[in-house]
Formats: sequence, structure tokens, C-alpha cells
Amino acid sequence: MTDFTWLIGGEAGFGIMTTGVVFSKIATRSGYHIFDYVEYPSLIRGGHNAYEVHVSDFDVSHLSPTIDVLVCLNKETYEKHKIRLTPKSLVIFDEDEFEIKENCKKIIIPFKKILTDLKGQPVMKNTIALGASIGILGGDIDELIKMISEQFAKKGEAVINFNKQFVQAGYAEVKKSYSGLILNYLIKKSEGDKLVITGNDAFSLGSVIADCRVYSAYPMTPSSTVLTTLAAWQEKIGMVVRHAEDEISVINTAIGSSFAGVRSAVGTSGGGFALMVESVSFSGITEIPLVIFLAQRPGPATGMPTWTEQGDLLFTVFSGHGEFPKIVLAPGDNEEMIELTAKAFNLADIYQLPVIVMSDMYLSESHKSVSKKFVDNFINSYKVNRGKLINQIINNKSPSFAKATEGKQKYLRYKITEDGISPRLIPGTPGYYYQENSYEHLEDGHTTEEAESRIKQVDKRAKKWLTYLKKDFSMPKVYGDISKSEIVFVSWGSTKGVVLQAQKLLLEKGTATAFIHFNHLYPLDKEKVTDLLNQDKKYVLVENNSWGQFGKLLTMETGIEIKESILRYDGRPITVKEIVSGVR
Amino acid sequence: MNVSTIQDFSGYDPTWCPGCGDWGIGVAIKQALIQLGLNPSSVAAVFGIGCSGNMNDFLNVYAIHSLHGRALPNAIGIKLANHKLPVIAIVGDGDCYGEGGNHLIHACRGNHDITVITHDNRVYGLTTGQVAPTGQKGFKSKSTPSGVIEIPINPLSLSITSGATFVAQSFAGDVLHTASMIKAGIKHKGFSLINILQPCVTFNKVNTYQYYQQRVYKLDENYKKNNLKTAVEKSLETNEEKFPLGVIYQVEKPSYTDQISQLKKETLVNKKRFVDFEKITKLFI
Repeated sequence: MTDFTWLIGGEAGFGIMTTGVVFSKIATRSGYHIFDYVEYPSLIRGGHNAYEVHVSDFDVSHLSPTIDVLVCLNKETYEKHKIRLTPKSLVIFDEDEFEIKENCKKIIIPFKKILTDLKGQPVMKNTIALGASIGILGGDIDELIKMISEQFAKKGEAVINFNKQFVQAGYAEVKKSYSGLILNYLIKKSEGDKLVITGNDAFSLGSVIADCRVYSAYPMTPSSTVLTTLAAWQEKIGMVVRHAEDEISVINTAIGSSFAGVRSAVGTSGGGFALMVESVSFSGITEIPLVIFLAQRPGPATGMPTWTEQGDLLFTVFSGHGEFPKIVLAPGDNEEMIELTAKAFNLADIYQLPVIVMSDMYLSESHKSVSKKFVDNFINSYKVNRGKLINQIINNKSPSFAKATEGKQKYLRYKITEDGISPRLIPGTPGYYYQENSYEHLEDGHTTEEAESRIKQVDKRAKKWLTYLKKDFSMPKVYGDISKSEIVFVSWGSTKGVVLQAQKLLLEKGTATAFIHFNHLYPLDKEKVTDLLNQDKKYVLVENNSWGQFGKLLTMETGIEIKESILRYDGRPITVKEIVSGVR
Repeated sequence: MNVSTIQDFSGYDPTWCPGCGDWGIGVAIKQALIQLGLNPSSVAAVFGIGCSGNMNDFLNVYAIHSLHGRALPNAIGIKLANHKLPVIAIVGDGDCYGEGGNHLIHACRGNHDITVITHDNRVYGLTTGQVAPTGQKGFKSKSTPSGVIEIPINPLSLSITSGATFVAQSFAGDVLHTASMIKAGIKHKGFSLINILQPCVTFNKVNTYQYYQQRVYKLDENYKKNNLKTAVEKSLETNEEKFPLGVIYQVEKPSYTDQISQLKKETLVNKKRFVDFEKITKLFI
């Protein structure tokens, strides 16, 4: 059975990230599932980078407490991570660079000597390490060479061949001196294709599937790779990506393009979202659809830019001045990210309001393998639903206005309806005109301060929430059987994977548990949620923040207080071990 | 072809103070739209917040009554989605040069094909008369009782040096000329700004109709509008309380959407959905 963790570490700026993705892809191409995680400081050069990959026969989305193969490109890697080694762990390092006094299984690879002999650059140490890693894990060297060839395809045969030598040198060294230690963890097996994607990639993919045509953003870790990924794809997929001057411009650009008829989204982290909040409210009253991707990192203010936290939940749920409906979703893993991103665009169009998709650094930047079949099936089943958008062909060369308006009733943008949703018209449609208005307005969009009209519009907007709860809200998924469990975990978003794994371990030790995982965060169906939470069980809240913010939200909505909680707020993701030991 | 009428474009009755410069600007905008052969369905407008923005209720077109300062990014967004639709932004000086100042600079840089029509009355009218960023140094207002310390912003030189490709100035007291400037601005391909000197009869007792009538002058026919340096020099005359009227700067350059290859064939709103997902998914295997 294969279930191991490989970790490579070295100085920032020397290709650790690229090497990690190559390793993950070799594992998935060999038929395994992966989940990976990167640790890096908010620096371009000089800090410590670590990239770990959890490889398994089964679908995984959690990290292991122990490391099976540790690749040290410098001494710091060993010092920082040795605490996670077991007597069985293998350590790949160069004895010319540092010594290891502790007792462990040493795989000595002469990185320095190989680089000198083959006249390589320091970054090629990674390539040697990959060769050695594939060798010691019993993997297929040809698969690695194929990846290297793809990676350098644009640079030509000479560059490919030059790099190949380093792969082969690392691989040969293991075969020559350590054949007795080779693990058969990466033996090639055939499984369907898998995509190696991050949460940010999953959002990007979901937005393309949903026919998003404008993406606007300002770089902010950990959301930036959505901007760079979609920017790289834009010509191919016909999207327009605008890197605007600030987040205020970002969200208002998207509101403009959405008004003009195209699906539009923005992406940011907490600080950038704080700047956008004025226009979250603007989208709320004008009823202009908008999808907002929010990848959280630890705050307040600049906080810890490259680390993880779920600290913006209450800020997000209550973002925007005034009372208006919005929808907040928080996918638990990459599959849910693809599904809920695409759903977010439908919800934004159907209910004509802002929909916020919440992620965090852990989900946004970790790769998880997703079966290609799952993605293909989802693409085939997904239907673009633009709600009450009146779909008329736009013809800018319209006949005379008088002729075009003949026999037509005045269009009412904010018409009072049973479900709270008014028909929306694409600007440019001949014979009509209307205004979206940030002021309170009459049904025709004109400004009003009159009491009765105000009440009508407030009630109309509020009705959209009721319609949503009836038609499109999804109750949390329950994993395990609440009636047969003493302990019931409650969590939301990216903590899903670790809780599921903790459940498995607890069951092995004889404790059956249940787990209620929320990904439709707000609004909530109070009655139904109350029924899940008011049973005579030990409920345990699991969150990556210090306040237990989701617990507070549940109390506000249901009156139920979850007394026990496992919270982590040091910038690191919650681990399986913490959850298991937290309830035992 | 049947042309549109003032009636087609006229919404609710304006609520501006009698004698306000906005009346003239309102008429000038409608005249310009009619002369360009546009109708309420074939143009989009974004209004800022202020007395100028209140025109949203008085002008029938596809419109957003935006937030204070945010009209320009909304206008840019509309243009990205439908670059064939003429887009105008109707804003005030506090709105566009104060709250939204950063957006102005970057809209100029991008040469976004939108027309910004600024009502420059040098005060905040709707909040009852605080000084605006274009107020003269020393101007006494409710928020600056001892006189404003800052020097005024110069919207003309600021936009010219930021990359605007059409910058004009007019006076609200001259409706015909204002209409001709707005028309030229909308016709111009690329970013256009028309700064309209507008007396606020209620809160600005210094920059009155009389004040401007004594200090404005029209650029003569020989003025070369395509020279950046002379245009900047012309703009700086404002600092000496001389106000040139006319097109101060105009050059032809590709607009933002002209330079986006995915918009070459058709508008974003009209194009077909992308469905060749294999092209994307294969990148991750």
C-alpha cells in the first residue's frame, strides 16, 4: 500500500516550488492521489522554503504528521523538519554540505560534486534531487524525463538533454549505492488521468466553466495566482482580465461589466476585500450580479501574508454598509471549489446579488489531485443559468427610438415580484433604457426618499434570500451517523480534509464520530440547521481562527452555543493529530 | 433616419437650484447625443454622486448611478463588456478629482475609450459648500474657515500628462460650445475629458458667471492641439486665473480595447461561450 510524505526544503528562490509540482505530477501520472502544501516566507530570496507532498492510493486532502522521505537542499531543512522523522524515514542530503549526527537512514547524494562535474547551475540541485527521489521511491525514471522534456520543450533539445543528465545522475547514485533501501511506493499503475490543481486553479477553472468573461484583480497573496492564471489563459478562452490600480477599481470594473451583460468576478485577500466592501453594498442595492473570490490569510492588516487562517468569516458575512442580501460559500476542497465557483455564477445571476466564495491560503495554494473524469462530468452537467436576464440580441444600429419603443411598456428594473427577483435587461437593447441606482429607488430605478417605496424595495431585496433558501441553499453534509456518535464535529471550508481523516483514525481506535461540514455558509436555513445541532451530543467546533467565528454565527442564527472547540491561529493549518488528541 | 429628440432623453424634472450651471450642462449633453445620432438605448452613462450625478434622474439612457468617486471604473467595465457602446461618465470635481482621483489617473493611462464630463464648480454643493480639490488656495468654506491650505488640482495638465488623448475645457454659460466639446469628446476614440467650468450660485460666491465671463477665452483657430508641451502650458494658465476654452489636447492612439486581441472580432457580451475545456484541463495533467 502506498501512503507516504515526501518533503523537499531549501533556500527561497531556488526552484523548490516548481520541483514540488513536478513531483506531484509524477505521482499522479504514476496512478496515485496527492495533496501538497508549501511553506514559504513573504520574501523572494533568502528565506526557507518547504514543499511537502502526501502521496496515497486513495483520495487525500490532509497532511501527515511524519515525513517518509526528506530531501535537504540545505542544513536548515534538516534542522527544521527532523522532528517529523521516524526511524524508518529516509533523508537525502550531501555530506559535503553538512553532517547528520542523529541516527536515521541516510541517502548521501553528492549534489555539489555532480554540479561541478556536469557544470550545472545551483538550481539544478533540484533536478538531481528529483532523480534521486524517484529512484529511492521505486518510480519510473522515464516519466520524470518526459516531464523535464515537457518543461523545457520551448527551449529546445540541447537544454532538455543538458537537464536530463542531472536527473540521471541523481537516479544512478541511488541505484548504485542504495539499492537495498529502495521503497516500492511509486510503482506505476494505471488509473484515469488526474489534474494536479490548487484551490486557486480550481476557482479559475470553475469560472471558465461558468462562462465568466471579465476577471478583475489587484495582486494579493494568496489570491494572486488566480489573476496570473486567468491572465495567461485570457486570449485562448476569450476572457478579459484587468489588473486595475486598486481593489476599489477592481470591484467597480466588474460591476460595470456585469451591468453591461457579462459574467464578472474579482479576487483578493482580506485587506483588498476591505477596500471593496463599499461596493459589495453597491452591488447589493443595485442588484448587479457579482462573484467575489476571497482567499484568506492571517490578519489583522498586513498580518502574515503567506500563511493560513479562517479569520475573515464574520467580516465577510456582514461586509457592506446597510442591509442587503448576499450569499457566502466556502468550498471544503478542490472538487467543491470547482462546483461551488460555477454555482456561484449561477446564484449571482439568478438572485442578482454579490456571491462570495471563501478560501484560505491552505486551500488556495495546496495542490490536490482531482480525477479528470470528475471534472469532465461536471463540465457536461453544468448549465449556465442566467436567471431572469432578458436575452435579446443587441443591435447597436437600432431603428429610431420612437419606432423601437412603439407599443412597449416602460421597463421597470426593480419591479416588485413574488420571489423578489426582477427581470434584468442588457444595456443596448433597443427601445428601452433604465438606470441601476445606488440610491434607494422606485421600481423604475429613479431615486426616492419616500417611506412606502423604501419599505417595498427593502422587502423585495430581502425576499431574494427566502427564495434562495427554498430553492438553492444546500444543507451541510453530514459524514458519519450522528445518532450513533457521541462526538459531532462542526466545521466549514478548508478544514474538511483533516476532520475526515481524524474521523478515520478515531474510528480505528474505537470512537465513532459524525462530522457536519458547511460550505453554504450564509444565509442559513435556521430551522433545519437547528435540528442538526440541538441533539444530545458532544459537539466540537473545528476552525482555523482564534474566536471560533463560525460558532458565533451559528449561535446568532440558532441560539445554540457549541461549547467545545479546537482552534488554531498561528498561521498553520489545523492537523489531524490536534483533532484526534483534542477529543480524547 | 429619424433622429431622437430632447424629449426622448428627458427624464424627471431637474431639481438643481435656479441659475445653477448644471442646467446648461444638462442641455448640452442631450444636444450632443442628438447630434451624434444616438438615442436612449444606444448609449450608456455612469453618474457619480453630487449635484452633477443627480442628472441620472433627468437623463434617459442606460445608466448606473454609481458611488461617489467610482464612476470611472464602472465606465471602464461597461466598455470592456461592450466596446461598441458609447460610454460617458458624468461626474463632479470632488467626485472625480478628489474621491476618485486615483481612478482618473489610471483611466488616462489606459486610454480607455470613455468620455468624462466633469462639472467643475470648485465646491461640494450637495453637502452644502465645503471646498473641492479645484478650489483656489485661500478659498474660505465651511470645512476651511481660515481658507484652504492646499493649492488646487489642475485637471487638464494632470490628465494630459497621465496619458489622456483628448482634453477639453468649456464653460457652462456657453451651452453651444459645451455641446460641441462633448460631441467631439464622444467621437474621439480613446480617453476624453471635458472639464466644464460651472458656477455654483448657492455655495461659491467667488467663481461666479461674471468671474468666468471676464476670464475665459476661446483657443484660436491656429492653436495646435496635438502638441503635448504647448497643451500643458495652456493648461497651466488656469493657475493664473485665465481659462482657455476648447480642445486643449488631442492625439490619436489605440484605445485600451483596441489592444485586446480577444476583442478584435466582436464584443465580449456578444461572443459565444468558450467550451473547448480540454485546452485548459490538459495543462494540469
